[in-house]
Amino acid sequence: MTDTRARTAGEETPSPMPGDEAPLLEVKNLVMNYEIKTGMVSAVEDVSFAVPKGRSLGLVGESGCGKTSIALTLMQLLPNNARILGGEVVLDGQNLLELGEEEMRKRRWDDIAMVFQGAMNSWNPVYTVGDQIREAIYLHWEPRPSYDEAMAKISELYELVGLNPGMIERYPHEYSGGMKQRAVIAMALSCSPKLIIADEPTTALDVIVQEQILEELRKVQHEFGMSVIYISHDIAVIAEITDLIGVMYAGKVVELGSTREIFANPRHPYTWLILSSTPSITGPRRQLAPLEGEPPNLLDPPPACRFHPRCPFATDICHEREPPLEEIKPGHWAACWHHEEVPTELVTESR
Amino acid sequence: MLKFIGRRLIQMTFLFFLFLTLVFFLLESQPGDITSQFLDPNIPAQVRQLIIERLGLDGSVWNRWWNYITNFVTGNLGVSFSQYPRSVFDVIVERIPRTLFLFTFATLLAYFIGFTLGKRVAWKRGGFSEHAVTIGGVLLYTVFYPWFAILMILLFGSYLDIFPINGFIDPGFWRNAPFTGNEVFSQLILSLAIAAFIVSATAILARRQEERRTARLIRAVGYPLSVIVLVGFWVIRSEMRPYALDIVHHSILPIITLALIAFAGVMLLTRSSMLETLREDYILTARAKGVPEKDIRDRHAARNALLPVVTSFVLGLAFIIGGGVVTETVFSWPGMGALLLNATVIEDVPVATGALAFIGVLALLGHLIVDILYAVLDPRIRIAGRE
Repeated sequence: MTDTRARTAGEETPSPMPGDEAPLLEVKNLVMNYEIKTGMVSAVEDVSFAVPKGRSLGLVGESGCGKTSIALTLMQLLPNNARILGGEVVLDGQNLLELGEEEMRKRRWDDIAMVFQGAMNSWNPVYTVGDQIREAIYLHWEPRPSYDEAMAKISELYELVGLNPGMIERYPHEYSGGMKQRAVIAMALSCSPKLIIADEPTTALDVIVQEQILEELRKVQHEFGMSVIYISHDIAVIAEITDLIGVMYAGKVVELGSTREIFANPRHPYTWLILSSTPSITGPRRQLAPLEGEPPNLLDPPPACRFHPRCPFATDICHEREPPLEEIKPGHWAACWHHEEVPTELVTESR
Repeated sequence: MLKFIGRRLIQMTFLFFLFLTLVFFLLESQPGDITSQFLDPNIPAQVRQLIIERLGLDGSVWNRWWNYITNFVTGNLGVSFSQYPRSVFDVIVERIPRTLFLFTFATLLAYFIGFTLGKRVAWKRGGFSEHAVTIGGVLLYTVFYPWFAILMILLFGSYLDIFPINGFIDPGFWRNAPFTGNEVFSQLILSLAIAAFIVSATAILARRQEERRTARLIRAVGYPLSVIVLVGFWVIRSEMRPYALDIVHHSILPIITLALIAFAGVMLLTRSSMLETLREDYILTARAKGVPEKDIRDRHAARNALLPVVTSFVLGLAFIIGGGVVTETVFSWPGMGALLLNATVIEDVPVATGALAFIGVLALLGHLIVDILYAVLDPRIRIAGRE
């Protein structure tokens, strides 16, 4: 597994920004497996990326490609059967994986907050939303604020995310889905974290509310200047709000670059196929090409390039040697032996 | 909330009279009538007829039913045959506190230990302690209860000789006592009720405080205060104290036995409910928020896992009542269960009917308490009820 790894620790972390913006978060050669009865599931395999300060990075990929696993690794909230086998998660110069459990607990929410998949169930039904936001504030603010100070902050955040502060002392079941998600965002902001991880922040919401929530997220990001990692299976959502995109396939980052660059000039066949299967409202009208096949079983992933069984450009080298994540243009990284052959035009269905 | 309780009370009244009717007809449907049991078979037929008429046994069943219900409402439950001429009402009023005493303590103990243990076992999944506790729980849950009670008596009453083997008081000790058992017992209940009131008031007040320091202060004052009041009460009533201790001494073994049986079910249910709660998203949110593990277990997971456990109390009521008959019989504890069994065996029909009726009242009150508790614990129900 490790012998095919392209780069070794110590080299430059692939950063999707061409300039020298200081990275807030650097993930280096992260390897994480889930141990199950029948073996090891290779959920995150040699993943490296960087998020510059104040920027947003979107992680896209099919379900089960390791997006959420990366998020949980960053927060160190993995289930008991997860094994971090290597790599570093460097936040502001400190490797979080070296922290003890108690130190990490204090850093959670203070440094990295998270907006979870399905905010519907993110709230404990027996406490008011205010109780739950105050809990985070009381835990992390130094010194511990008074009730009034905490409430003043929550009211301010409620105004910011477009909620009526009169709702603070209401219970979660009195909120609608969109309101719950707004309140989750308010809670994520309550300790002014450096980084917010938004895992499918809008998946369970209808399109109009989705749009509002994304707008809200974009607004607070600019206001607070924090970095955000968005996780979604929906590249359209990601494109709308992020500066940068990391495309994931079967536990690996296969392409990394600015959102504009990825859309204009996809260099990995997988990215190219995903874009081909996504309709565009503004672009020319074309047939959509569905992505054939299904993601591999990570218990026994394909050797070398994990995408080669589904790849139209695959040749012998693709199942013999693993393609490194190479900087093919300043700030644009792709892991493909044939990245030059990927056409600029999107595919249209041949049938 | 008041509206909710009011509505429940009306429903309960209706339900109670339905139950009372059922009990009445159940006992009425026994073969023969009471005159054939209690009257000398040699008295002349005319005299027998006269007695039957005087007792109101000659009318139709419906007449007798109507008489019973109207008498019941005015508090007249008839006269006990076996303890003639005491009224059934007096007999029951004497017995009820003894049963409540036993069961309140056993239930509180069972729920407290069962819940605490259940949540810990679920939290530390796997390992020897989980298996040991679960197997022990299943054993206690399935054991044949009367056999287990006798085993407890054998162990603690006979081999270890720490507790009396049965009874409510030690008759030899009470021979020249200046008080009756009931007098001492009512004082005992009064003192415990005062202490319980202080404890619950403290818990509620402390919970309402936003500042942890104030909450801690309230607890630091309230809990010791309840102990001081309890001790002070019995310092003042020092002449009664040895007798009260005798009753307490007699109650410990039945309480422990009953609690052990009831605790197992609570523990197993808490365990599975807790395991389910731990999979919820809000537990992950709490972890992500950096909430300390102990708070996640107690404040987030256990608080939600408690809801089905409270519901189970209603389902357990029937068991508690049935278990009451067995417990009180095995331990010769003169409460409602023993009264009911005894009255049924010697065909003291008024007492049997009255005992069943009051057990029904207790069961309905238990339901009401759980309903209220549930609304207090679950805001989703509390707030829906308000609208």
